[in-house]
Amino acid sequence: MQIVCISRGTFAGGKNLAEQLASQLGYDCLSREELMDAATGAGIAVGKLEMAVAHRRPMSEQLDRERRRYTSFVTSTICERALTQSLVYHGRTAHLSLPGVTNVLRIRTIQNPERRVEWVMQRLHLSREKARRYNEQVDEDRRRWVRTLYNIDWEDPAHYDTVINLSHMSVENAASSLVSMAQLPEFQVTPATHRVIEELRLASRCGLARGADPHTGERSVTGKADCGRGSVTYLPRQQQKARSIPDVLHEIDGVRELLCTMATTSLLWVQQCFDPKCASLAQILEIAGKWNAAVELVQLEEGPGKPPGEVEMDVDSRGGLQDVTKNGGILDDGSQEDVECPDEDLKHTRARLIAAGRAGGVRIMSGDARTLLESLDRTAPYSLIVVGDVFMSKVDSVRKRLSREMVSYLSDHLRVPVIGADELKTQYLFGPAQWLRLLAYGAIAALMFGLVFTHQTEVLTFMSQEGTGHRILSTAALLAFVPAFAYVYGNFGRYLLRLFRFE
Amino acid sequence: MPEFLLGSFHDLNLIEMAQIIMLGFIGGVLSGFIGSGGAFFMTPGMMNLGIPGNIAVASNITHKFGKAMIGARRHSEMGHVDTKLATFMLITAAVGISLAVWVMKLMGAMDKEGGTGAGANLYISVVFVVVLAIVSISMLRDIMRSRKAEDSRPSQKIVNFLGRLHLPPMINFSVADVKVSLWIILICGLATGYLAGTIGVGGFIGVPAMIYVFGVSAQVAAGTELFLAQFMGAWGALNYGLQGMVDLRLTMLLFLGSLVGIHLGAYGTKVVREVIIRLVTSCIILLCVVSRAINMPVYLRQLGLLEYNPGLDSRFAMASKALLYASGIGGASIIMFFVLKAYLHRRQVQASLLVSPEKAPAT
Repeated sequence: MQIVCISRGTFAGGKNLAEQLASQLGYDCLSREELMDAATGAGIAVGKLEMAVAHRRPMSEQLDRERRRYTSFVTSTICERALTQSLVYHGRTAHLSLPGVTNVLRIRTIQNPERRVEWVMQRLHLSREKARRYNEQVDEDRRRWVRTLYNIDWEDPAHYDTVINLSHMSVENAASSLVSMAQLPEFQVTPATHRVIEELRLASRCGLARGADPHTGERSVTGKADCGRGSVTYLPRQQQKARSIPDVLHEIDGVRELLCTMATTSLLWVQQCFDPKCASLAQILEIAGKWNAAVELVQLEEGPGKPPGEVEMDVDSRGGLQDVTKNGGILDDGSQEDVECPDEDLKHTRARLIAAGRAGGVRIMSGDARTLLESLDRTAPYSLIVVGDVFMSKVDSVRKRLSREMVSYLSDHLRVPVIGADELKTQYLFGPAQWLRLLAYGAIAALMFGLVFTHQTEVLTFMSQEGTGHRILSTAALLAFVPAFAYVYGNFGRYLLRLFRFE
Repeated sequence: MPEFLLGSFHDLNLIEMAQIIMLGFIGGVLSGFIGSGGAFFMTPGMMNLGIPGNIAVASNITHKFGKAMIGARRHSEMGHVDTKLATFMLITAAVGISLAVWVMKLMGAMDKEGGTGAGANLYISVVFVVVLAIVSISMLRDIMRSRKAEDSRPSQKIVNFLGRLHLPPMINFSVADVKVSLWIILICGLATGYLAGTIGVGGFIGVPAMIYVFGVSAQVAAGTELFLAQFMGAWGALNYGLQGMVDLRLTMLLFLGSLVGIHLGAYGTKVVREVIIRLVTSCIILLCVVSRAINMPVYLRQLGLLEYNPGLDSRFAMASKALLYASGIGGASIIMFFVLKAYLHRRQVQASLLVSPEKAPAT
C-alpha cells in the first residue's frame, strides 16, 4: 500500500495538509502524537528521550536503548499499517525509518516565518519576541531530534521529494497538487516494495523484542533482517546475556535464520562480486580480528550505467536502482529466487566470515554511492568502510576513477574512514614496508633521544640562557623539535602496536 | 649547574628516568582511557621526584603540545574536530594560559626570596586540589545517584541552568551541530586555558564544558579539545620556553611512555562499561587530590605559615608519593587488566553463532 510522509514544522500547516490529503486520497491518517502515545503505552520512555535530546544531554547507554526501541517502534508500526492500508503520516521524518522503501512520497511543509510567529502569538498568547524565540527553540529541538535519531540534517531538501510552501497556497489546493503527485508511478507500491516493507517490519519487530527483554535490551550494536535472515551484533561484555537472543527472537514470525556476532565495532565491505579466496577477504578478516569487529557485506551490483549524481533511477526490490527513464517508472521485481539465493561466492564468503566469527550480515543492492549512502544506518557504529571491486563492467581506468569517486563521496558524507580495498595493506596491516618504516622511525627517534641525553649540559644551557634574543631562538628550536620528536616517536609507537596487532 | 632552568636544574639518574617514563605511560593510559587529562598524575608525580612545580608544569605542557598534535590528526581524519569551535575557544584560552604563566612567574619570584620553591608548589597544589576535588566528587555523586535511579546519565543541573540563558550573539558550529552563546564559549575557553597553564589539565574543563554546556557529542568534544590542546600546548610551551622553564629531557621521557600508553587506554574504553570507566576515573583523580593535599603542609611550613618538626617533611613526601603511585598504578593496572583480558579473549572466542530451525548452531 502507498505511504505518504509529511514532515511538518511548528505551525507550518503540515497537520491540516496531511488530514486534507488523507481525506482526498481516502487514506488513513496517522500523526506523530498518536505514534508517541502508542510507544509510551508499549513501555518506551519517549518523553524521557525527547527531554534528553532537547536538553542536549549526552546519550547514555539507557537512553540509546530507548532511542533504538523508539525507531524500531516507528518502523514496525508504519510498516504494519502500510501492509494492510495506504497511509498518510505527519510528523518529523518518519520516512527515514523506512530505508529502501522507494515508493514513499516524502513531503516537507514550510511556512512564512512571520505568519508562524503570528499563529503562535494567537494560540499561545505570547508576545512577538517570545513567539519568535518559541519557534526557533522548537525548530532547534526538531533539528536535534532528527540528528540524534537518524544523524541527518532535517532541513536538507535532498531528503524530500517535494517541499510545499503554504504561505501562498491554500491547504486544499496544496493537497490537490499532491494527489496528482501521489498518482505518479514512482510512488506506487509494487510487489518488490511490499517485500522490502515486510523485511523492515521483521527487522523492527526483532529490534523491539530485543529492546523489551531485560537480558537483550542492552545489546549495543546493530540488528538487521534480510529475507528472513536476521543478524545481530553485540558487545563482548554482553556475551552472557546475548546467549538469550535466539530465545527472545525465536517466536517472531518470519525469522528463519539468525546470526549473532559478538563484536566491538563493525566494518562495512562493499564489493560487486565477493570471492571467498580473494586477498581482500583475508586482509579484512585480519583487521576485523584486530579490532574485534563484525564484517557486514554489501554486494553492490551495477545500476544501468550512470555515475553518481547523474542518475534518474529508483530503487529495485532489494533496495537497488533501476533506470526508470526507459520503462515509464514501472519497476521490475527481481525474482524471488534471486533474492533468496545469492550467488555461491557470496554464500561462501559469508560462511568464511561465520567460521571466523566475524559475520555481520549481508545485503544485496544495485546502484551507486548515493544508493549505498541512503541505505546506510547513519547511527551504526562503523569503524571503517572498505570499497572493493565495483563497476566491474567498465574498463580498468574508468573503474578506478568511479571507485575513487565512490570513496570520496562516502568520505564526504560520513564521519567514518572510507578506503579502497587496495589501501588495506598499507593503512592497516603490517608488511615489509611497515617494517621498514618501524625501523626508520625507531632509529630517528633513538638518534634524537641520544643526542639530547648525551649533550644534556649543552641543551639545557641553550634552553635557559638569559637574553631575549637567545630565549626567542631557544623557544623556536623547542617548538620545532618537540612536535618532530612526537611525530617520529608517535609513528614508531603506532607501528609497534600494529605489529603486535594491538590497535 | 645551578644556572640551568632558573636555578632549578634536577640531575636525573636512570631510576628517576625510568620513573618519569612510567609516569608518562600511566598518564598516557589514563589519558587514553578518560579521554582527557593524564597530567593530573604526571605533574604531581614529577613534583614528588623533587622536580620543582613550575618546571614540571612547563615540561608537561610542552609534552602535551606534541601529544595533542598526534591525537588531533587522528581525530581530524575521523571528522571529529570542529575547528571553528576550537578557534573561538582558543582566543580566550590563550589569554588564560598567559595569565597562568604570569601568576606562575610571580610565584617563582616568591620562591627565590624564600629559596625553597614552596610558593609555586603551594599555588599549583591548591588549584589542583580544589579543581580536581570538585570534578571527582561530582563524578562519584553522579555514579551513586545513577545507581539509585538505575540511570547512568551525568548530572544535568548546569546544562539545564545554562540552557535557559539566551545570551546573543549565538554562534552556529556545523561540525559539532550546536549553537552556543559567544560569551559562554569565551568563559569556558578562559577557564580551560588557565587550568592548562596552571596545572597542565585543561581537558578536564574543556571536554566536560563542550559536552555538558555546549551539547557537543563526546567524540567531537574529545577531538576538538585535542585540536585546541595542540595550540594551547604550543602557546604554553612558547610562554614557558621564553621564561626558560622547559626541561626538554622531561618532555622527551614523558613522550616515551605516554605515546604508547594512550593507545592502550583508548583500547580500554572499548572493553569496559561506561559506569566502570567513570568510577575508575573518579577514584584515581580523588586519590591524586589526597596525595597532593598531604604534601601541602610541607609547602606551608617552608613558607613559614605552619610550624612543625621539619623531620616530618620526608614522611609527608613519602605518604604523598605512595598514594599517588598507588592511585596511578592501581588505576592503570585495572585498565590494563581489562585491555589484556580483551586482547587475549578475542583470540579465543569464535564470535558468530548461527541459529536456524534446520541447522544446528554452527561455530
